[in-house]
Amino acid sequence: METKEPEQDRPFRDLVSQLAVVIRTSQLHNPANEAVVTAIEKLIPLINGLLEDESSIQVELVGEYFYVNENRVKFTMEHLLNFDFLQKEFAKRSVGSISFLCPVAVENIQNLLSVFIACQYAPDPFEALVTGLAQEKCIDAGVVRRISVDGEHDLRKAVKKTYFNAVSFTKGVMNKLKAGERVNIKKAKRIVESMVDLLLDREEFLLGMTAIKNYDEYTFHHSVNVSILSVALGQKIGLSKKDLMELGLAALFHDIGKTEVPPLILNKPTSFTDEEWNVLKAHPVHGVRMIFRMKSFDDSSIRAAIVAYEHHMHQDHSGYPGIKKLKDLDLYSRIVSLADQYDGMTSSRVYARVPMTPDKALSLMSKRAGTQLDPLLFKFFINLVGVYPIGSLIMLDTKELAVISGVNSGDFQRPKMILITDGEGNKITPVAASLTEKDGLGRYTRNVMRTLDPVKYKINIAEYLL
Amino acid sequence: MKAEPQPADIKAAQDVIASFQKARKSLRMYPSNNPIYVRTIEDVFRRLDNILEIGPLELGVRQNEILFGDTPVYTASGMEDNLAFFFFKDGLREISFKSGLTLEETREFLEAISQDSGMDEDIVTLLWEKDLEHIKYVIDENFLLEDETYETEAVLHAREETTPEEDLKRAHSEAFSASTPLSAPEIVPLSSADFEELMRAVRLDSADKLIKLISILFDILSDCQPAVYPEVAGIIKSALEHSIRKGDLSSALGIFSAMDAVPPEGPVSDLLKKEMKKVQAHASSLELVKALGEHLDSGQIRDEEMLIDYVRRLDSSAIASLIAVLGDLKTMEARKTVMNALAFLGNKDLNALAKGLSDPRWYVVRNIIHIFRKMEDRRCVDFVIKASRHSDVRVRIEVIRALGELGGQGVIQTVRDALGDSEFSVRSSAARALGMLKTEPARMILMQHMAGKDFMQADFNEKKEFFEVLSGWNGPESEAYMIKCLRAGSLFHKGRTDELKACAAYALGLMGAKNALPLLHKLRDSKNRTISDYAFNAIKRIEYGN
Repeated sequence: METKEPEQDRPFRDLVSQLAVVIRTSQLHNPANEAVVTAIEKLIPLINGLLEDESSIQVELVGEYFYVNENRVKFTMEHLLNFDFLQKEFAKRSVGSISFLCPVAVENIQNLLSVFIACQYAPDPFEALVTGLAQEKCIDAGVVRRISVDGEHDLRKAVKKTYFNAVSFTKGVMNKLKAGERVNIKKAKRIVESMVDLLLDREEFLLGMTAIKNYDEYTFHHSVNVSILSVALGQKIGLSKKDLMELGLAALFHDIGKTEVPPLILNKPTSFTDEEWNVLKAHPVHGVRMIFRMKSFDDSSIRAAIVAYEHHMHQDHSGYPGIKKLKDLDLYSRIVSLADQYDGMTSSRVYARVPMTPDKALSLMSKRAGTQLDPLLFKFFINLVGVYPIGSLIMLDTKELAVISGVNSGDFQRPKMILITDGEGNKITPVAASLTEKDGLGRYTRNVMRTLDPVKYKINIAEYLL
Repeated sequence: MKAEPQPADIKAAQDVIASFQKARKSLRMYPSNNPIYVRTIEDVFRRLDNILEIGPLELGVRQNEILFGDTPVYTASGMEDNLAFFFFKDGLREISFKSGLTLEETREFLEAISQDSGMDEDIVTLLWEKDLEHIKYVIDENFLLEDETYETEAVLHAREETTPEEDLKRAHSEAFSASTPLSAPEIVPLSSADFEELMRAVRLDSADKLIKLISILFDILSDCQPAVYPEVAGIIKSALEHSIRKGDLSSALGIFSAMDAVPPEGPVSDLLKKEMKKVQAHASSLELVKALGEHLDSGQIRDEEMLIDYVRRLDSSAIASLIAVLGDLKTMEARKTVMNALAFLGNKDLNALAKGLSDPRWYVVRNIIHIFRKMEDRRCVDFVIKASRHSDVRVRIEVIRALGELGGQGVIQTVRDALGDSEFSVRSSAARALGMLKTEPARMILMQHMAGKDFMQADFNEKKEFFEVLSGWNGPESEAYMIKCLRAGSLFHKGRTDELKACAAYALGLMGAKNALPLLHKLRDSKNRTISDYAFNAIKRIEYGN
């Protein structure tokens, strides 16, 4: 696993990490407490040191990433906890940035902390923060920077292009392998790179595409969806860009062995005979061979082959294929198993025409966590997709119906959505909204009452997400 | 850099591109620790650093041109060694270098563009993985487009079924009457304990994946149809190659251990064993042994015990590969290790090892003889003797040394012949070889040679060495011969005779010959300073033991 730290980032990374430590400590103690002061004293040289070369230092949260003076701060797994914490604290208060405009002393940071801690209880935390910092000449807070509508539109277009191109590519690969033709693996890597970039940029857009299912092209959509979900989970657990690519590629080809399974079995709508079941269960073994048929032997093909072999094995080895010596499942296999189960359950397949709703799938998966699935990774997974994953159809306490369209990283219980009916149940022009919206009294405008099965009511989720 | 660059800027950009081209050659040619490799990167960095002082360097990429602004700063035709095409073919259309570029980034960039083509990565992937902060690029995404109509059709298909209004109404009304509780699990916020556990899990997972894959492959072999054996064995072969190319002997040994577990009997097993033999043969191939040699040279493989374990698994066809590699190794340590490996394998097939004696490189021949010498196996004598007339004196010396150590009746004649070699060092080695043999015939040959005319003409050091060897027998014949030399007198060759006296005094001292003391005391007063000194030292040694 790549954990090399880019040295030029170090001061920025240390600054973000220490800022998190200071805020966390001040949540437990008064800003004057010795533990807080010690943490502040470690933060001050980091800020003032950077101010020797820069006129101001801005720590900004854009999407899932921190930037210091426009430089994206790359973090390693060791800093994951601090970054995750600070991201949530910023999101809770709708704070986009904190800027240090001149060299600071302990008192300046203590003032910042007092206001920062207190403002979370205000109806408009960001407003309270700005007001609280009005007297503080060296520290300023900024709003969350939104990507411009044009930029967002372009990004959505890029997401769609990348997604469908990945599906089309996967279809091509599988057909070529069936025909015994050579496959361009360089292209596969490039496609996964694009997906990783888009996930790093605006995770929710590409994640949203996984909610669009296609019964006729299930295998290809499923491969791409598993790849996207796996990379998103990999990103959540702090894997490096290179590792994400390796994981995405392994996930994309996790079912490649199915090209060796006769279509009559693969597309059989009724239950399998024992013999047919055995043929289907051989696909992980075929997968290993197929991986090396299309890709030269290197570290990433090794990982891909392991994933192809282990993705049905289950954490407790209750799955298939059975092995002689029990070994822990590879990390990537555990990630892909989660993504595979989730996408499989929520898709309409030959042998399960009616898909599960995302929340039901998560509920079933939570029962499997600890046996079939890795419980720790499941915890990260549910924090990734949220309690109402993208594509969920929900009924609100305002009697409106909505489709979940994105995650709110500050509050996983309150995702973004698209309203599709009014309170009377009349179809409306879809409107984007968020469950985090509050009224003047600080109360949430809308709350989820229950989830609904879109298939039951022939509601085409893709109509709203595409 | 401005849109309309100045001639000096254009020249600087041209120089930078030329330095990229030069670097691609050097980086492919030299290992990363070679000074030329390091200097090349530093040179490119200096050039880039100078140009970046003015502003960012933005280069456009066309099929056969690299542009600076609108001015071509690099033009090439054809595909070979065409830097523009190298970028263009993978969809790269613009590349820019920003101020703040580091030496490390320059190195990573140059290493990326110096990768051999034909691998699974293209230049865009390599640059993407490196994620260089100050080197950015623009790519043409159409390169990736598999099927231009797919997206449009898929979107149309997805939107085909517009949700009917009445279904929405039904959903709306039933949602209120339904009493189904929310089924989603609670989101438990991630705690620091979760992150710590995650880090532990990732750490545990970082163990080498190759070992795991090997185990999977052998699991597959144990269950699959024989028709699949060749394909799986082929993957195992690649796994072995991968491990050796990475200098990972542990995984390679893991493969061999797994091969041991293949059931020894039965018709199916025979087929499998045949495939495993192919894997073993691949391990012995020149290609893999060369890769092994490179790791030995670089010092990456240091565990000699593990190496010997590995070599134990090779078949005798590895001998020829190891011999070929032996001559190319640059470090003494690596040569020593390969020679030990050859000594081990040579025991299985002396003839194969002996083929190395025909190698055109004298040092390889010498090394092979050295291996025979260290093997201490008299079956080697006949092979060693074959090299006794080698044109290089260093080989002949090694031959005689080996024969002296290997011993036996068969070596005598060759050693005797070597006493007449035109080179003093060979004659001296031959004398020492006879001394090592320490047989009566050997003594007689030595004494015969010392009695000859030629020996009288030899220089003092040679004489001294021969007398010293003869002293090793320490018997009455040797003593008598030396005393005779002490007494010898001559009118015509006084100088030579005196040399013999001095050497004999020296040898008698080494032998501790008390019988020679009266004569030695006499010679102590010799006018010849050399004789008197040697006599004095001999007396001291005989009387006082020092």
